[in-house]
Amino acid sequence: MEQLVVFQLAGETYGVDIAHVHEIIRLQPITEVPRTPDFVEGVINLRGRIIPVIDLHKRFGLPAAEAGNSTRIMVVEVRGITVGMIVDAVSEVVRLPEENIEPPPPIIQGVDVAYLRGVGKWGDKLIILLDLDKVLRESEHQQLKEQVAAGVAET
Amino acid sequence: MSGFDMSQYLGIFLDETDEQLQQLDEAVVLLEQEPDNRELLNKIFRIAHTLKGSSASMGFEKMATLTHRMESVLDALRRGELRVTAGTIDLLLACLDKLRELKAQLASGHEGDVDTSDLVGRLEDMLAGEGAGDDGSPPPAFEPLRLDDVEENVVRAAEIRGYRAYEIRVELEADCRMKGARAFLVFNNLKDLGEVVKSEPHTQELEAEKFGNTFRLVFLSKEDADTVANVIKSISEIKEVTVRPLTLDEGAGQVAERRETSLAAPHLANEAEPEAGARPSPERRVTQTVRVDVQRLESLMNLVGELVIDRTRLAEVGNNLKLRLGNEELVEMLEEISLHIGRITSDLQEEIMKARMFPIDQVFNRFPRMVRDLAQKAGKEISFIVEGRETELDRTVIEEIGDPLIHLLRNAIDHGIEEPEERVRLGKPRYGTVVLKAFHQENQIVIIVEDDGRGIDAEGLKRRAVEKGLLSPEGAARLSQREALDLIFLPGFSTSDRITDVSGRGVGMDIVRAHLEKINGTIDIQTTHGKGTRFTIKLPLTLAINRSLLVTLGERVYAFPLANVVEIIEVEPSQVKRVQHREVTVVRGQVLPLVYLAEALGLKGAGRAAEGKAAVVIVGLAEKRVGFIVDSLIGEQEIVIKSLGSYIGKIPGIAGATIMGDGRVALILDIHSLVEHLGTARERQLAG
Repeated sequence: MEQLVVFQLAGETYGVDIAHVHEIIRLQPITEVPRTPDFVEGVINLRGRIIPVIDLHKRFGLPAAEAGNSTRIMVVEVRGITVGMIVDAVSEVVRLPEENIEPPPPIIQGVDVAYLRGVGKWGDKLIILLDLDKVLRESEHQQLKEQVAAGVAET
Repeated sequence: MSGFDMSQYLGIFLDETDEQLQQLDEAVVLLEQEPDNRELLNKIFRIAHTLKGSSASMGFEKMATLTHRMESVLDALRRGELRVTAGTIDLLLACLDKLRELKAQLASGHEGDVDTSDLVGRLEDMLAGEGAGDDGSPPPAFEPLRLDDVEENVVRAAEIRGYRAYEIRVELEADCRMKGARAFLVFNNLKDLGEVVKSEPHTQELEAEKFGNTFRLVFLSKEDADTVANVIKSISEIKEVTVRPLTLDEGAGQVAERRETSLAAPHLANEAEPEAGARPSPERRVTQTVRVDVQRLESLMNLVGELVIDRTRLAEVGNNLKLRLGNEELVEMLEEISLHIGRITSDLQEEIMKARMFPIDQVFNRFPRMVRDLAQKAGKEISFIVEGRETELDRTVIEEIGDPLIHLLRNAIDHGIEEPEERVRLGKPRYGTVVLKAFHQENQIVIIVEDDGRGIDAEGLKRRAVEKGLLSPEGAARLSQREALDLIFLPGFSTSDRITDVSGRGVGMDIVRAHLEKINGTIDIQTTHGKGTRFTIKLPLTLAINRSLLVTLGERVYAFPLANVVEIIEVEPSQVKRVQHREVTVVRGQVLPLVYLAEALGLKGAGRAAEGKAAVVIVGLAEKRVGFIVDSLIGEQEIVIKSLGSYIGKIPGIAGATIMGDGRVALILDIHSLVEHLGTARERQLAG
């Protein structure tokens, strides 16, 4: 049985392991940080902590959405890194039996398969399970590092 | 003891043991240089004694046995029955190492299989060597007094408060007529010096004269044994008074025995201990301290940070209410409360900042031992001088400064100082000198590591860099001496031909620099070939708080560290000139390059509001001056520096972030990298 926090992003339903989710907050003013990748919106003050915020639309190359009343920042922590992720809406927490989870199909609408842990069947809905570790660490994170390294090398 | 759960004390015990071992290390190394320093011996004895007591009370047999034997040897040393030799020092240091090993095991709650028997044997041998002449020492005069748990606790608690416990034996003259009254007088005289915890026989029996000619007391006092003895001696009809320090576990009984002060009434003057200064004097300072987990201090700091934010919000709400309701009584009251909270919060913040400061001795204190060991290993003779131990700095800085200093000291010993014979041949003193000192200078801490060794040969460095393929021969030829010296900071650059146990593994100076940069420090080398080398490290006083100038760019707020701000000016559009694609203005006859901060940061959609006067923040880096054009100035403020976290990592031009009064986040500028970045961006622009 897996507990998932289910959220909406560009019309699709996604889920992440509840163990990674710290809290869910309303959208708040974000301080832009220069020389960061496009998907890094900036940083916010979360009760005295500085937390980076990324926009999952931009992160996955999905069509941008207007921030609305249901827009949330989902604060997740993976291996000591805490990041806020902007999502369109957070709907619920669901329990999903393991057997309902399947490996990701080769082609799926929206997100690159590399970031997925699988697809969960929940009633008549499909929940796309994100691999947060990959989302926060791979490629773009690398790219971020390289960009910074390049910046340093220039000097 | 087994019924107790000792685990909750283990942490404290380990911390204290750490500290005591550290002090012992230092003191023993010092003892090697001053073998006749009585006071030092006493200090070592005292610490060893405390360590023995605490390990015994925690039930750590091996540690207690080893420290007990050490204590015996130390006692023989301070009474002059043994002489301090190189062998003694080595043995004591070996014991300390073993104790460290034991301590490391103890972290898991038991003593493990560390073997102490060899050292215990050597200590016993050392004592036995001395013991031959010591057989005449008087046997214990009387059985130690037994204390029950309550009394023991009283004694322990008093010891913590700086009192010392004595066991006093009073013998009245055989023909004393009013024994009860004499006993009363003894109690009465002692009252002024401290407190009698126990008497044997009990006071009621003493009053009723139901005792022989002797009675015994346990007495707590801050005075030394002689003073206590003399006070009792001043009463007539007392035959003999013995005052000796009370040790709580009987393991120490024999040692304590030897410390007794025995005063026979008729020749009080000549028998008075000649070494009054040598016994534990009541110098133990009674500063009351509490150990606090560093993590707790951190979170306290964060909480205060939030309080600061709410204070500002409260003031804002007050202002709004005032606008809406006018000078109503309740509004005024709110204003007053908000002001008061503001003041308290500032004080609180300051106090917590202070609590985070430590004397640098926390780092320095382990070096004398390290230097000694390294010197011995390298076959060098070194006199090590440490200055400015009391210099205080923020614990975040303290944590980071240790490793770089170890590297520098190692280098000084291994590469810097020559072999003794070579030094003699060169006409230098046989002993090399290594100096480590710290002091405050303006808003910085300066740490200097200096040796009078062979210095660094700049030409040698160049040759080596070419050999290693790090530099072309032509490139090497072009380097100035300064630049050549900077080569040692290249990764994988080792200057010694030998790989030794001490250093020369090809890591080192690059790591030193990296460490220092992490805490916004700089390092500078001065060297004279053949004369010595001096490394100068400059560090910020604290990493956590910074006085800054807040400016705005549109909605965004940025903070210039005030340390970098030279001046603030206003510039009319007509005063801005273009020279070689650069905007400049002239300030008091000097040409000042101007840069739009938004452009320097590479902000998206950075516009230039060209109309009207522009606010310009002039920053200085060494002799370089650059003016940054901003939208408006907010003012000066103390800000708490926070990192952007590992996800975003290090961004050129940004040093970190801070949370402002209204809860928003402002970015703190890293002027150094901002200006550097600027230069290269400009060059690219010009090249392209």
